[in-house]
Amino acid sequence: MPYDDFRRDDYNALSDTDFRALTRRFLAATYPADMRFPQKRLHWDEAEPWYMTLSAAGWLAPAWPRAHGGMGLAPSKQLIYVEEFERFGAARTPDHGIMLLGPLLITYGSEAQKAHFLPRIIAGEDIWCQGYSEPNSGSDLASLRTEAVLDGEEWVVNGQKIWTTLAGDADWIFCLVRTDKAAKKQEGISFLLIPMDTPGVTTRPIINLERDDEFSEVFFDNVRVPKGNIVGEVNQGWTMAKNLLGFERIFLGSPRQSASALAKLYRLGEHYELFEDREFVNAYNGFRMELEDHHALFERVADKLRRGETLGPEVSFLKLNQTSLYQRITEYGLTIMAEDSALLDPLDGNRDLAMPTQFLNARAATIYGGTTQVQKNILAKAVLDLP
Amino acid sequence: MIDADTRSSMEMIRDSAGAIVTKGDLTRIRRLRYDLPGFDKAVWREICALGWPGLRLSEEKGGVELGTLPYCALAEELGRGLVPEPLIPATLAASLLEGGALEAHLSGERLVLPAWQDSRKALLPDGPLRIRNGAVTTRKLNVIGAAGADDFLVIGTDGVALVAADAPGVTVTPLGTQDGGHVAQVNFDLAPANVVACDPVPALTEAALASAAYLLGVIDASISLTTDYLKTRVQFGKTIGQFQILQHMAVDLKLEAEVARASVEAAAEAWDRDGATTETRAAISRAKARASDAALKVTRDCVQLHGGIGFTDEHDIGLYLRKAMVLASQFGSASAHRALFLDLKPIREVA
Repeated sequence: MPYDDFRRDDYNALSDTDFRALTRRFLAATYPADMRFPQKRLHWDEAEPWYMTLSAAGWLAPAWPRAHGGMGLAPSKQLIYVEEFERFGAARTPDHGIMLLGPLLITYGSEAQKAHFLPRIIAGEDIWCQGYSEPNSGSDLASLRTEAVLDGEEWVVNGQKIWTTLAGDADWIFCLVRTDKAAKKQEGISFLLIPMDTPGVTTRPIINLERDDEFSEVFFDNVRVPKGNIVGEVNQGWTMAKNLLGFERIFLGSPRQSASALAKLYRLGEHYELFEDREFVNAYNGFRMELEDHHALFERVADKLRRGETLGPEVSFLKLNQTSLYQRITEYGLTIMAEDSALLDPLDGNRDLAMPTQFLNARAATIYGGTTQVQKNILAKAVLDLP
Repeated sequence: MIDADTRSSMEMIRDSAGAIVTKGDLTRIRRLRYDLPGFDKAVWREICALGWPGLRLSEEKGGVELGTLPYCALAEELGRGLVPEPLIPATLAASLLEGGALEAHLSGERLVLPAWQDSRKALLPDGPLRIRNGAVTTRKLNVIGAAGADDFLVIGTDGVALVAADAPGVTVTPLGTQDGGHVAQVNFDLAPANVVACDPVPALTEAALASAAYLLGVIDASISLTTDYLKTRVQFGKTIGQFQILQHMAVDLKLEAEVARASVEAAAEAWDRDGATTETRAAISRAKARASDAALKVTRDCVQLHGGIGFTDEHDIGLYLRKAMVLASQFGSASAHRALFLDLKPIREVA
């Protein structure tokens, strides 16, 4: 078989060093060179070949148990997998099924749901998107109002989701819906699986600040869904969703974005011949040192995982630190570009110099995955024990 | 990754620091300020009895070969308690001494303090020692604790020379520092000296790391004092810790502390694993720069968070700010260390 060289019966039996080397060999052998370090999320048509390669090689779902088609990697090896993929500049595929829905079903799904949905994710037959946020429920997600009412053997869904990544590519959406309007807000939420082609489901793309269409609104107008499409217990959705946020939160603090911005700053420095300028050199050096410090912080948290400890709320410090650094590098990048930063087309038509693009995209980093301000509210209580 | 043995060493040494550091009580510290020598020689002898100045040395030299991480943990505990006794400079001296002189230093009989700095903003001596006919002539800046020294270890790029503090030709000019201690300019004018050849760079680099670790204690204690205050001070009918802006300020400070700690620990780990290399020296410069900036930011904001009482001599929080002002540039300021980092790791190879 074509990928036998990269398959192992037990990846965890390899040393970390050997697994890292294997991952590098795998990427070098299989990833299309011209697709390294994409500037934005790939749509399904662009990502499909890579998705299928990963699927065929058995490398699609690093965190899933082997029984369900995953690699069964221990946390320390999952860290290596992500690190090497990021280092190589491998694109993320539309991976909500792999990262979110899969683990949800594995933990809370019925046998029938697992048997039906998991293989289809591995095979690339079902692409999933996530229906959480609503126009009136962002930071305060628990206030969500999209409702599902039981009518005989069907749930009837009405409402709207927003910021749904790659909804246009998706076959299915997994949604948090309100199933009890009388209960306390967190206690009346369920997890519901909805086919995107169900009558009453419509999608409208949102053009983001960088004029990309990775997000959509999804509208539900009397959408009828079989009763069995609830995952786990009715009204247990909030608890399940919270439990799903496992150690993967560490990746929200990955140094990758800052490293990419710093590399771009370096290229701009070369372009404008700024390495003779003391002020630029000092500024660049300062960011470089900050990035190394952030890396030390990341490794400190990763070491907790490697020791088998669970991560506490302090993992949020990673996101705070990284996103601040990332934005500041892009802000500085704009200043050194001076009036060139006002132009729409990248300098010299070279997307590797496109700092305004990165500056705009960086604005989202302190917003998604829990805004900086909400994270600080949580940290104040959880870590500093403030009232 | 810090292994279990090292972590347990670090815990043990933190506990043992309690013999010298009185938790939450800075009375002794306050009393010693703005006077010479600014530290208590009796306490220094207790510190020697605990074996601290020799902790890093080999067993045959009278030490326990303690790793860098536990040494940093000890320095941090001293920082938490604003301990003025010059353990870090004395440890530096211990690593460059030998024989009878080392024994007398470790026992506390003769406190030997290093005199290495030739010019402002320097992180290393400018050049070799000028010795002629068994005597040294030089002028050293920023000698920490000089007024309390029995001997000076004069350090050049190529070696060290031991000079008695009361030897002919030695003049000590103390300058008070913001924390109530002092540094001194020490003139050596044909002062009698024995020379020992050695490379002082690792010892000076390690002293910078230990200073960064001391600052971690300053940072941590300041945050602790401040969060306690936020939880008890009542204004507008509630404890002020409920106000979101103050919560966010406190979280920002905790983040500074976490990053500084990660940087110091990563540098200490690498130093232990690889010894003195370009990479590890750069990591230590990074840690000192980070800790220096973080300590000033944290202690400034902690004064702010205390409101009016933060701006008094009576409240402890101000002592932490003034200590940060001094340790921030001890064994190299943030800007000096950033410049060294750049030297050690040039951004581009010059074609």
